[in-house]
Amino acid sequence: MYQYDTLDKEIVADRSREFREQVGRRLAGELSEDQFKPLRLMNGLYLQLHAYMLRIAVPYGSLNSRQMRKLAYIGRTYDRGYGHFTTRQNLQFHWIKLRDTPDILDHLAEVDMHAIQTSGNCIRNVTSDPYAGATVEELDDPRVWSEAIRQWSSLHPEFSFLPRKFKIAITAAPKDRTAAKVHDIGLMIRRGRDGQLGFEVIVGGGLGRTPYVGPTITEFLPANRLFSYLEAILRVYNRHGRRDNLYKARIKILVAALGAEEFARQVAEEWAKIGPEGDLPDTELARIRGAFAKTAFEALPAVSETFEAAKAADPALARFARNNLRTHKKAGYAIVEISLKTVGETPGDATSDQMDVVADLAERFGQDDIRVTHEQNLVLPHIRLDDMPEVFARLQAVGLASANVNLISDIIACPGLDYCALANARAIPVAQQIAQTFADQEKAEAIGELKIKISGCINACGHHHVGHIGILGVDKKGEEFYQLTLGGSGAEDASVGKMLGPALPYDKVAAAIDTLVEVYLRERRDGERFLDTYRRTGVEPFKEAVYADAH
Amino acid sequence: MKALTANRLIDGDVVFWKAGKWVERFADADLFDDAAAAELAEGQAKSQPTVVIDPYLIDLMESDGLWAPLSYRERIRALGPTNHPTHGKQAEGGEMIEALMHADGAARSSGRVNLIKRK
Repeated sequence: MYQYDTLDKEIVADRSREFREQVGRRLAGELSEDQFKPLRLMNGLYLQLHAYMLRIAVPYGSLNSRQMRKLAYIGRTYDRGYGHFTTRQNLQFHWIKLRDTPDILDHLAEVDMHAIQTSGNCIRNVTSDPYAGATVEELDDPRVWSEAIRQWSSLHPEFSFLPRKFKIAITAAPKDRTAAKVHDIGLMIRRGRDGQLGFEVIVGGGLGRTPYVGPTITEFLPANRLFSYLEAILRVYNRHGRRDNLYKARIKILVAALGAEEFARQVAEEWAKIGPEGDLPDTELARIRGAFAKTAFEALPAVSETFEAAKAADPALARFARNNLRTHKKAGYAIVEISLKTVGETPGDATSDQMDVVADLAERFGQDDIRVTHEQNLVLPHIRLDDMPEVFARLQAVGLASANVNLISDIIACPGLDYCALANARAIPVAQQIAQTFADQEKAEAIGELKIKISGCINACGHHHVGHIGILGVDKKGEEFYQLTLGGSGAEDASVGKMLGPALPYDKVAAAIDTLVEVYLRERRDGERFLDTYRRTGVEPFKEAVYADAH
Repeated sequence: MKALTANRLIDGDVVFWKAGKWVERFADADLFDDAAAAELAEGQAKSQPTVVIDPYLIDLMESDGLWAPLSYRERIRALGPTNHPTHGKQAEGGEMIEALMHADGAARSSGRVNLIKRK
């Protein structure tokens, strides 16, 4: 991962000192809550239902073992022994005290971490492919570009008070694991006809109240022109984005209002004014590329006899290998996904003890590299197949060996009304009920890839719009109801789900999901995922079955 | 019937008004059956900006012969998250916690809604 230099360390330490002073002034009454709130938010500190919530940045979802251990320590010392990984690859602690926050930020600074870019109307923490640097699919390492954007956008004076928050995702593989098309800017690394590296630039995607799959405004932007182009997009948005209406302030509304073509024209005009002076010098990009810790891979056979024998002897390991392992670019290695969706547990939560084990595994077996996925799981990107039996056993010992990645119980859920001050309904218990319904692993595997995403309010932190099945909690006169949507996708085939019908009460949701799955199993043709079947049949068979049951 | 609630500045904990001070347990909260007295307390609470954030009144309903917040959101605040029964105030147990758990009232938290509207 990227190694902080002295300057990076000073910035983070300064920020922590500054916040300590601000907290002191707030507690002394020198700052009112109205004055203090934007300051605490710029340091990731929200007030939720039961306590403060601290959202810690995990830039492009990349952590080393030292950082993971520090998160475990913070969870144990200042929270209740756990943390919650989010759909933006960050980590949230839900039981934080204001008085402890300056100390927590100091602890984070010790391991080159902070909470900058996790709140406020700035460019937020960049999302990237959790398999970066490990997958054979990628054209370049997206972390290098993510880090360059992080350095460019962190505390950027021109872009710290945008009309609204601004989220960028970067992927370098055809398989999109970042939800790039539903970000404010999605960057997809492409190779031009002449072999040159560039970006497809997608602008104005988003979820929330008004979901859009973003249109492509540039098919191929030469990679060395990225920063001037980003600046041009941000300037057009900063100038014309709606500041008069919170619900219309995101760039997606501007792009939709102007039309993608006109928006692209305005960006091109601004881009011409900025010129190549706004770009990152090649030498700087090379410095950033060089500041990533080197990975050293051994020359290994593609098949590990140790691993094959262990799989043959242990069906649980074989199942884990089928569902949680992905092809590594180097023979003899695997990308290992660790599911944080153990049936009965809270999606995205990891205890401090579990974090410590993941840190140990990364350090001992995984090149000190850990990733967070936007689907609220963890990844050890570089594990030798020979080591898999031991890695699996250690994961199993701490309840982290669920073999359900991409299956029906691998559910995204926001914290919902159990924690969040904005939520209208709970999301976590709904996810738990559905996971229990499909706890039978044989059945879950037979169903195949099915992405359920649950949000407790229209702000859509749980990405419900892009769930194959989306579930949105709504408040009907104070009661929890849930609106189902079908056919969404946050991947390269992105689409916004369509509403199934009237919202269902809390206790009917899991049964409705079961019915949807029954219809899919009845209707599906060879090799079809739930999403494919839905796209072929349309909503009718699903709607008919769910509402026939409901009446 | 109403109670007055807020989050405590220093730690964010859910607190309830009791005779000019703040207590952590809903069971200990002052209950107001007089609107004028409730509003007076709310006014006093607002003059404690270094102690609490955003005080507001909540509506109550009867449950198991006791009073419980009418809105589900406020019951979750008074109890703790439903996914971790050992976290939050519910961990302590007792008669009042049981009453809150059994309450089935459904209404928006009007005090909270008014607070958002005022902003």
